[in-house]
Amino acid sequence: MTKRRLSDLKKAQMRAGYLFVVPSFVLYAAFVLVPVAITIVLSFTYYDISFGADWVGFENYVRFFSERRSLEIFWNTLRFAFFAVTCNVLVGLLLALALNRVMPAFLLYFFRLAFFLPVIISAAFVAVVWSYFYSVDFGVINYYLLQLGLPAVPWLSSSKVALTSIVIMDVWKNTGFFMIILVAALQGVPQPIMDAASMDGASPWRRFTRITLPYISPVLFFCIVFATIGALQVFESIMILTGGGPGDSTRSLSIYLVDEAFGSFELGYAAAVSVTMMLLVLVVTIIQLVGSRRFVES
Amino acid sequence: MQTRSMQTRRAARIVDWAIIAVLALMGVLMLMPFMWLFSMSFRPAAEAYRMPPSFLPPTLDLANYEAVLNSAVPFLKIYWNSLYVAVLVTIGQLVTCTLAAFAYARLRFPGRDSLFFVMLIGLMFPAQVTILPIYLGYAKLGLLNNPMGLVLMGLTSSFGIFMLRQFLRSQPKELEEAALMDGAGYFKIFWRISLPQLRPALAALAIITFTGAWNNYFQPRALIESQQAMTLPIAMDLLRGYMSQGNLSVVMAAMSMSILPVVLLFLVAQKMVIQGVTFSGIRN
Repeated sequence: MTKRRLSDLKKAQMRAGYLFVVPSFVLYAAFVLVPVAITIVLSFTYYDISFGADWVGFENYVRFFSERRSLEIFWNTLRFAFFAVTCNVLVGLLLALALNRVMPAFLLYFFRLAFFLPVIISAAFVAVVWSYFYSVDFGVINYYLLQLGLPAVPWLSSSKVALTSIVIMDVWKNTGFFMIILVAALQGVPQPIMDAASMDGASPWRRFTRITLPYISPVLFFCIVFATIGALQVFESIMILTGGGPGDSTRSLSIYLVDEAFGSFELGYAAAVSVTMMLLVLVVTIIQLVGSRRFVES
Repeated sequence: MQTRSMQTRRAARIVDWAIIAVLALMGVLMLMPFMWLFSMSFRPAAEAYRMPPSFLPPTLDLANYEAVLNSAVPFLKIYWNSLYVAVLVTIGQLVTCTLAAFAYARLRFPGRDSLFFVMLIGLMFPAQVTILPIYLGYAKLGLLNNPMGLVLMGLTSSFGIFMLRQFLRSQPKELEEAALMDGAGYFKIFWRISLPQLRPALAALAIITFTGAWNNYFQPRALIESQQAMTLPIAMDLLRGYMSQGNLSVVMAAMSMSILPVVLLFLVAQKMVIQGVTFSGIRN
């Protein structure tokens, strides 16, 4: 009797389990698993919308890694990621250290508002505002530079400056995210140890490098990995500020991919670019995780 | 000895307040772009480029807002599309993710852990790797230039399932076991016990999903060209083109309306938004 009831229960559980999992899994298969598989296959073909696919082996990848233009874009993406990640995490850490002290609640609300608002508003919106800030002749930033007697800067129209301008906006937009996460990490640093260290006469810098930093290092590494994954996929801020120009000086892999796919309809080649991007994200993440094993004290 | 410690304490307080003052200054600087866009949206269009820029609204004249609504760009339709996509995607994810999370956290069935693992791999793929086949498929199905296409592809997320499952696993199991003993079915347990337990996590997921869908740019940009089917983020470029030069203030009026829902959400539920968004970061 009880045995029967148990096996019934098991069956009911199984049925319920599959039933509950099916909707999400079908959608996931349709919009993630299958498309990823198709993209990988597509990347080995020359694909024409009306004539179909021709198998070309590694030709698309060879093209990507031998053309000057695509290599420059690859390099741009890495350069952008390096500067954006460094500045975002560093500024975020400085802000977190500044914020991590006793203050009235209304100030805390204000700081969270000011530093986190850019994080949750799409770059698609705020980049339009920044494009006016950056404009050479009637831009807000150049207006104030001129007032201070400084020369106007060609923020977006010079191929030497444009990438830096995008990094600046990126830091404005994203650093608040890292600030919030690092504040939480800083609050986990045990106060008694800090107090004991200052009683022993340890300087603030020494306390920071010897106590704080080791404590927050896992979170710091998480921030770096997370920032890197995001930066390697940078799209809308560049799209709206410069569209990839001047020349190719700010073109990132994401933008190149969209240009090739929906501008020139080189779908096979675009697929190879996207697979390369995915592998790049994967490799960088693995390198950082392995690196963190060596440096992070647990 | 005592005076010395009092002195250092006083010095520390002064340093504290100096740092807070610097932070406050930076906070105001951070808000400048928003203050500028908001005040610009009230400036008469003819004075849009007059310097110095204003950071507080000079008037409260809604002329620029009217100009957006009367422009050649179907702004209201685009706004409606954005709402439609964001709301349906949010509802869809809440439903599919809770169901799956309940199954992965509470039920036993063969293949459960492998299915869950395959689901988690999804966190690894950037949107760029799935967009081409989706584009080709949508072209065949007539879902290009259709907001429904954006809804369909957003109806579930690996992240949502993962987050809800973790949350559910941290909840006590006793109630469910008791209900099971009383002969309740699994659907009843899900509805009566797990769903109420999940409430705070669901609110966080709803906030993340809504803002994510509202802000989404990459996929709409690839899948939608027609103005009638656009969502707000990709319409900004369009507005900029149509109203270039001289109509800066009108574009900023459109912008103010576009960011309004997310700003309001943030002002009302600041803590929850921050928790939600940072948690969505700490998924790994």
